[in-house]
Amino acid sequence: MKQFIFDDKEPFLAKLRELLAAGTPVERVEVTTPFPVHEALHLLKTPASPLKFFTFTGALGGFCTGFGLTIYTVKTWPMIVGGKPPISLPPFMIIAFELTILLGALGSLLGFLLLARLPAPKQILAPVVADGKFAIFLEEP
Amino acid sequence: MKTESASNAAYYEQVEADVFAAMQKPRPIYWVALAISISCFGIGLACWGWQIFSGMHLSGKNNPVGWYMYITDFVFWVGIAHSGTLISAILFLFRARFRKAFNRSAEAMTVIAVMTAGLFPLIHLGRVWYFYWLMPYPNQRLLWVNFKSPLVWDVFAVSTYFTVSAVFFYVGLLPDLAIARRRITGVRQWFYRVLSIGWTGTSKQWSHYEKLYGFLAAFATPLVISVHSVVSWDFAMSVIPGWHTTIFAPYFVAGAIFSGCAMVITLVVPMRKILGIEQYITVDHFESLAKLLLFTSMIVGYAYILEYAMAFYGGNVFETAHFIFRMLGDFRKPYWLMCFCNVLLPLTLFIRKLRRNIAYLFVLSFFVNVGMWLERFIIIVTSLAHDFDPYAWGNPNWSWVAIGITIGSFGMFFTFFLIFVKILPVLSVTELKEERAHETIHI
Repeated sequence: MKQFIFDDKEPFLAKLRELLAAGTPVERVEVTTPFPVHEALHLLKTPASPLKFFTFTGALGGFCTGFGLTIYTVKTWPMIVGGKPPISLPPFMIIAFELTILLGALGSLLGFLLLARLPAPKQILAPVVADGKFAIFLEEP
Repeated sequence: MKTESASNAAYYEQVEADVFAAMQKPRPIYWVALAISISCFGIGLACWGWQIFSGMHLSGKNNPVGWYMYITDFVFWVGIAHSGTLISAILFLFRARFRKAFNRSAEAMTVIAVMTAGLFPLIHLGRVWYFYWLMPYPNQRLLWVNFKSPLVWDVFAVSTYFTVSAVFFYVGLLPDLAIARRRITGVRQWFYRVLSIGWTGTSKQWSHYEKLYGFLAAFATPLVISVHSVVSWDFAMSVIPGWHTTIFAPYFVAGAIFSGCAMVITLVVPMRKILGIEQYITVDHFESLAKLLLFTSMIVGYAYILEYAMAFYGGNVFETAHFIFRMLGDFRKPYWLMCFCNVLLPLTLFIRKLRRNIAYLFVLSFFVNVGMWLERFIIIVTSLAHDFDPYAWGNPNWSWVAIGITIGSFGMFFTFFLIFVKILPVLSVTELKEERAHETIHI
């Protein structure tokens, strides 16, 4: 595997452009950067992150859990509190709201870990190549 | 500013060196601060132990004042937590550039303050070992919690807030932990290796990461508003004069952000000095924060006036009598001190010179912290002490144990914060680098 390692963004991007212009297919190129470099994401045609599906699933799950839990528990022990009907949606909405956020956030985190392939035991145990640098890795054809 | 590429690389190295130098062996002043904090924490734990052993009479609570110092502390610490999320999430969504000077310390402050706050409902309980009854779980009595109670909403709001702010804090740290893994050697390196979970910063990882950070910020923003609204409903849902009002939610949220900004100033002024990172947290950054402080102070001042306007205009005798009691009754001294600290003193920030004077801001932030603690004390205690029936009026008992536990909560907060500044990078190195690279292109 060929490596090109740079200290800054500009020479890194120049090299990346040069490699791609020379006809290197993007599938063979992998880059690591110390901060997000949008030009590189664009050049490598990185697909849009499907994270939103995880977020949506988590948030929807939280919303349903919130209403489900409150309505189910109040059905199993129907107790009149403050003269209000057992199933009172306005207070239950608050529980549903908090759980929407909780599970939405946790779903996003889980989705991120799955999509970004983290935790990565190999990188935890062995030193990372070109850690903290702008690096281009070329897979041999 | 136009910078050459070579100097960019030098800048990256410089930022890393400066921020990670702050994590090296501490100076004596750090140990002194840590020793004081741990001692205070110890006092608090001892007082709590004594209270559990001896009984709730030590807490100073009585009838009618059944909510006293612990609930005051709870609301105070939840409020402190809020500006962390404001600075990191809301200012992120608004793309306010001064946030990067404060966001890491403010996020750490949030997590620590929610931990501190979360203890107080437990300290407040008579039989703390039954605290898990607050959670809805299947049990042999087939009894469930009352989801119509604001206290149960609080359990959900505060635990969600703790979880989401801890996740947000950790996700923001992830690329910086990867830097720590590279820069810190020896046994400590393993800590950062494990914590950075093998982050390498590939293009795919960054693309998912940016989405995640945006989503978390978007979740944290409504969350922060909902949490303090729910805390305010603990009071507003009741019928006690002084509590039963619809302005409580926005009033509490503004107060929370106000007190939190003050606490950020209290923490960051000595921190930047002791850790030698003054060039990254500048007077300009403090000025922006001071403006936020001034703005929220005016909202709080408006709410104070509005409460009186509603009490007198509404024509409810109990409400009117209660607000006269607040102003002129047994608690008039803390009341007027609160007005001075929260409303009058921050108005001096209209003067630019004072806004840019860091020593002045530090002193002011101390007064605001005191004022905001008093605000919660006034709201909680005076309302209970003076409700409808004159035969039911009464003041709480003086309690050294409750004061000891309050001191202990400050001890806990500062202990954890001091540990944070030594084991995690106090500035977002990744964001500082990114900003520099950005500046280089767009000139």
